Amino acid sequence: MRRTIARAVAVVVVVLIAAFTYPGAILVSIGVHLTPATRSTAFPVAPAGLEWLHVEHPPGMTPFIADSEGRRVLLHGAIPAGLIDFWSGTDFSVTNPAPYYPIDPAAYDGKCPANSSVIATPPLCQDDIKRMAALGFNSVRLPMSWSLLEPERGKLSKQYLDRVAQVVSWARDAGMYVILDMHQNAFSRYVGRSAQPPLPGGAAISLRYYTGAPAWATITDGLPSEWYNGTRELNPAAFEATTNFWYNRAGIQDEYIATVAHVMQRFKDDSTVAGISVYNEPQPGWDLSPGFEDLLLFPFYRRVVDAITGVRDGLPCPTRVFMPAPCGYPDLGVHDTRHLVFLDSGWLREVTDFPTHLGLPVSSYPNLVLGIHAYTHVFTIEHLIDAKTAPDKASYPWGGYDQTYYWGEREARAIGAALFVTEFGNDPYYDPLELRAQLREQEIHLTGFAFWTWMENCGSGGGTPYGVFDGIDCKTNAPEPSSGCIRPERAAMLARVYPEASSDPNLTYSYDPSTGYFTLRANARFGDPATVVMVPSGVSGSITVGGAVAGEPAIAQSGEGRTVTVYPAGGVFTVNVAAAPVAPFRC
Amino acid sequence: VLSLPFGLLAPFAIWSASRSLRRAPSSSAWIGLLAGITGGVFAVGGIVFWLFLS
Repeated sequence: MRRTIARAVAVVVVVLIAAFTYPGAILVSIGVHLTPATRSTAFPVAPAGLEWLHVEHPPGMTPFIADSEGRRVLLHGAIPAGLIDFWSGTDFSVTNPAPYYPIDPAAYDGKCPANSSVIATPPLCQDDIKRMAALGFNSVRLPMSWSLLEPERGKLSKQYLDRVAQVVSWARDAGMYVILDMHQNAFSRYVGRSAQPPLPGGAAISLRYYTGAPAWATITDGLPSEWYNGTRELNPAAFEATTNFWYNRAGIQDEYIATVAHVMQRFKDDSTVAGISVYNEPQPGWDLSPGFEDLLLFPFYRRVVDAITGVRDGLPCPTRVFMPAPCGYPDLGVHDTRHLVFLDSGWLREVTDFPTHLGLPVSSYPNLVLGIHAYTHVFTIEHLIDAKTAPDKASYPWGGYDQTYYWGEREARAIGAALFVTEFGNDPYYDPLELRAQLREQEIHLTGFAFWTWMENCGSGGGTPYGVFDGIDCKTNAPEPSSGCIRPERAAMLARVYPEASSDPNLTYSYDPSTGYFTLRANARFGDPATVVMVPSGVSGSITVGGAVAGEPAIAQSGEGRTVTVYPAGGVFTVNVAAAPVAPFRC
Repeated sequence: VLSLPFGLLAPFAIWSASRSLRRAPSSSAWIGLLAGITGGVFAVGGIVFWLFLS
């Protein structure tokens, strides 16, 4: 009898473990795949607002971001980091300085606080948004910090959301979309800093680039906060705090989901907000791939989508405790079904440029976008091991710059999401190699991008700042007015001629910033919506069209440049911008 | 049982449980065999599903 009971208990244990791990996760994914999605595309546009975006799912193709007419939309933009709650100061032993820049939007009304090298980035002001628009950008990825959204548990900051709304209104005025970004790096700036000498192989850290969770949600269990291999993320305290988040220790994941829902409640009816990036650059903590992504990260994404859209995928489970992979999440009453939801791939995928997990369908909500961080030869594994080898001599990735995009498309198709580069960037010294190659790959794979970063003050670890601008004099802590001069070669590469919208989702195009030459080839039926090409103001070449176009193109001139609108007449057509000197950017 | 969260362990689980069952047919090793087969089926099935969708 006892033996029978023991066997029955063992069977129940096996069944429970199966239900909570891969078998259960895969069955839920199959269920999600079979769930018909409600694909509303005709949303009324608010007065003076931008068109709502959504994700199109054509059969046999990678889904793509589209406008209300079903045209493929490419978003080009940069990432200003001025709203991130960075650590600031000169005394590294101080671990919890107050936010450096004012949060009150009034401090930015027609003025801009002074910059300083004591913090990683300059403040974000309206002039920045105008300068982005002048580069031809049509979007901005706006990082926010959970530590400022919910500085005390359960108490959400209206003032910080007002500040976010202020930037959204600046973007609306400039005709740019905003991708809200729940940003974090190495979990939090509250992971602490070990006072003791580091363990063997470790080194004392600077908290300067740690961002994300508030102090109350940073549970390090007393592990040392020091880094290894000079890598910010390789920090035992950050590992522990991150792991505690994935396992919903003390309900902190519930708090995070409620915070995301609160943000989307605020912007639910605002089409200037293209969508929200749920969790930037997710690190696994102590968990291993592929289980981290398949059993923790993407199920967490499903729960966030459940909470803010009310789609109710996944199984009903209790909250405030660890929620296994098949679990969904209660509808938090926001019912936001008009925004894109950006799902960043895991950190290991970002350092390998390779899918590190199964990546099966996560939600029946149709407006999902898989966000990849394309840091080939910048943060990929061969560079982390040997930073001295030049990118053109690197032994990995074997598929070169194309590898992350090739696999990214396959991953996006499997999940049922569009593909977007939520971050990429590099040392400006390697722009002719790395930046040029990344931008070309994005043209080939028809992905939009968000460039890291708009402005940076001094660079991480004494390195060169990654911004579009030079950065500032970091030998002084005195207030400084700006972030240095614009980097002309970098700006010329980013201020590209590109199709903002096209009814041909398979169009091909390329732009050469060194000559100003642009060519586009598309195929559309008569009566299809127009193809719209953005030609930034520095590009002066004459515009010609050929093939099956209805009449002459409409060319609208604005401060940002020329907007070319071409109506198809049925068949293949081309749009070209002739080679001509590109006006140099000046300081 | 580890083959359920770590599908790659399924072949080892099946091999180990099968060997135990051959040596002691009336033992509880069939539970391990069940877990191993379940882990293996879902690991292979998941990969096939991914290839189909992607």
